[in-house]
Amino acid sequence: MTNRCFHCGDPIPAGVDIASHLQNNRHEFCCYGCQAIAEHICGADLSLYYERRENTAGSRLTEDNTPIFELLDDKQLYNQYVHQTANEHLIQVALTGITCSACAWLIEKHLGHQIGIKNVHVNLSSSIATITWDPSLTSVKTIAKELQFIGYAATPYLPGEQHQQLHRDKKQAIIRLGIAGVGMMQVMMSAIAMYAGDLQGMEDIYRQMLRWISFLFATPVVIYAGWPFYRGAARDLKNRHFTMDLPVSLGVLLAYGSSVLALYTQSGHVYFDSVTMFIFFLLLGRFLETVARSYHSGAHQQEPLTAVKIRLDNELKTIPQQQLKTGDTVIIEPGQILPVDGVLLSDMTSIDESSLTGEYTPIIKKQGDCLKAQTVNVEQLIEVRVENIGQNTHAAAISRITERALGEKPKVAIVADKVAHYFVIAVLITASLTYAFWSYMGESEAYWIMVSVLVVTCPCALSLATPVALTTITNTLKRNGFLITRGHVIEALAKTNHIVFDKTGTLTQGDFSITRVKCFDLSLTKDYVLSIISGLEQHSKHPLANAFSNFIPANVVQIKNLSSLGVQGVLEQDTFYFGNSSLMHSIGLAIPKKVESNAAELSLYLANTQHVIAEITLCDVLRPEAESTIKALRQQGIRISLLTGDTLESAKGVLNPEWFDDFKTNCLPDEKWQWIKEQSNHNILMVGDGLNDVPALAGATTSLAMGASTDLAKIHSDAILLNEHLSTIITAINSAKRCRKVIKQNLLWAASYNATLLPLAIAGLIPPWVAAIGMALSSLLVVVNATRLTNA
Amino acid sequence: MESLFLLIPIAGIFVVIAIIIFIWAVKGDQFDDLNREGERILFEDDDTDKKA
Repeated sequence: MTNRCFHCGDPIPAGVDIASHLQNNRHEFCCYGCQAIAEHICGADLSLYYERRENTAGSRLTEDNTPIFELLDDKQLYNQYVHQTANEHLIQVALTGITCSACAWLIEKHLGHQIGIKNVHVNLSSSIATITWDPSLTSVKTIAKELQFIGYAATPYLPGEQHQQLHRDKKQAIIRLGIAGVGMMQVMMSAIAMYAGDLQGMEDIYRQMLRWISFLFATPVVIYAGWPFYRGAARDLKNRHFTMDLPVSLGVLLAYGSSVLALYTQSGHVYFDSVTMFIFFLLLGRFLETVARSYHSGAHQQEPLTAVKIRLDNELKTIPQQQLKTGDTVIIEPGQILPVDGVLLSDMTSIDESSLTGEYTPIIKKQGDCLKAQTVNVEQLIEVRVENIGQNTHAAAISRITERALGEKPKVAIVADKVAHYFVIAVLITASLTYAFWSYMGESEAYWIMVSVLVVTCPCALSLATPVALTTITNTLKRNGFLITRGHVIEALAKTNHIVFDKTGTLTQGDFSITRVKCFDLSLTKDYVLSIISGLEQHSKHPLANAFSNFIPANVVQIKNLSSLGVQGVLEQDTFYFGNSSLMHSIGLAIPKKVESNAAELSLYLANTQHVIAEITLCDVLRPEAESTIKALRQQGIRISLLTGDTLESAKGVLNPEWFDDFKTNCLPDEKWQWIKEQSNHNILMVGDGLNDVPALAGATTSLAMGASTDLAKIHSDAILLNEHLSTIITAINSAKRCRKVIKQNLLWAASYNATLLPLAIAGLIPPWVAAIGMALSSLLVVVNATRLTNA
Repeated sequence: MESLFLLIPIAGIFVVIAIIIFIWAVKGDQFDDLNREGERILFEDDDTDKKA
């Protein structure tokens, strides 16, 4: 691997010789951009970055992102994004290209060394940097340029309301957990002293003091840390639908209340230790479950700031996308996503509409044609007249369908909640009967016996049974590349009996790959042909160009884009052409006998001025594991369906309809969702990636987005397939089934523990310390049982 | 044994102080990025070595 770029790890083109002496070694680079970044990093004495980074691919400077910061020249926007005090300005920027702590360290060190910058903090899990600077010494534009110098693109970041709420909730959860933990330890210390006192005798005055101490520490735990449970219980009572929150609150409040009564009357037992331990364990379980599911993404922003160029009175101006008006002339560069619906004013271009239709081959548009928002301009610098903006665009209509689909999403019954329902009723009946019986028998301790019944049945193990198992399996699956972001996924996956796949980008790789190379001139090797094409395509933003980027490009110069035909360039005084059959006709060359191809394939030709040299066939190929995964899933008795926006011919080109139970083509986004709604008797798992899958993803029982999906698809999915490997779906379903089994075992154990101790408690035979130890041990067993799920 | 009447409340005061510091740390975003902080020490070490 000597011919890989030192900075970004890409192969170095043949004939390119860019090298620098850094750290006493000669390092080679693929382009001057990478060399500049590396020299900048090493020049600032930050070469430690290269030693510490976790993967060899440094972020490569692709496009200049700094124009966005020019928008902040606008006073109003500046005030919105920059927090200002007398001599300190603060901004949050979202960064792309951060992969490990080495990146965060590099950014903090590099910016920290700049004049005028006071403080830099990079949050690795959310890829957001918070930067404070002195406005008299530097400016936000200079900072953005410095970030660009070391290879990171920044955009101003303004957290959305929902994101801020999540952030506040998380902080509060940590504080509750901390208070419960510290309080529990103090109460437990007093409790151990009291248990010892029970055995060896203790003066009443000390016992009373210890009771007061445990009361003081237990009170904030019960009132503040336990608050989420009471809120949940209140909601349960209002909805007449019992979840675990109700028995938990009942147990906590009754045990606490009677302990206070015992303290006041100086009789009976105090259960402060059990109460605090119970709250701490449950909070810990829930906190870990949330952390395991948390997923950070820049997409949580309200409206990301995006710069667009418009032509105003024959002058170019950069404005924020939000200020675009109907009738404006906007300039779209190759590779840019269209922000609005509009009419093409330039002669022609080709547009990649895959985000809306799933069709990857770019579509040629002529002057006067309508272009849709969220599609990608592929070839030319174009001018577009704005027709529809914001909520009126075609893409926004998808968001509206999605909202409806989310509202009608089927609910999955959670096992633990069902158990909770009966549990509450059973506990209440038993406790009242016990009290009635002992009162009838004239027992003066009747009330205390009832309390011990409640403490014994305190559903600690029962309410831990589910969260621990879910946390363990969520973490295990995360390591395997399957990220769960919503709570019901495990239960729903275990019951899945119907999986619906999208085609492009889900079953296929969503990218063109070379399927065949046929050289007409037998003296040339395949590698040579591909290296010429790679050289011709090296600067192209056309989706086809990616297929060749893995080959070492030849040093082709004078590259010219031939609109909607192909490219031409010069290699060693010889002119080469690469493009479709129309290009061959236009340069007057006949194509030798055509290789048979199906509708999903695309044939392109390489020629020099005299004759056609080779035919290259490209296709959006199937993921290698797709067929085996589908077959394995069907063997498990799961119904498999395909829903694609593509045509029947091109779907048949890569997929065999016999693999599927349903084979639906030409589906609009809305139709996909409607179809899923019609299958309401099935537990459906929808797997998709594009904007056109979003309503279906939102409306299915469970949904899974591929790792490279559009942000909207990820937000509305219940899980994300980070490793993009379809066979992980099988692993996930099997793990979910095992997890369900463990949850059931845990529930059974907790229930039988309660059932065994209950008669003893009813008989008034359980001293409080036995109840406390029993509770801790049964919880421990539940946790240990759940850890079995770590080896997936 | 009478010393307990003094010592236990003093211990209690320390606990309250610890909790106040903890809440201050959480509010100051110190628990925001748990991935990062664990590795930070590795980088800072080398950095001081270089300056020395």
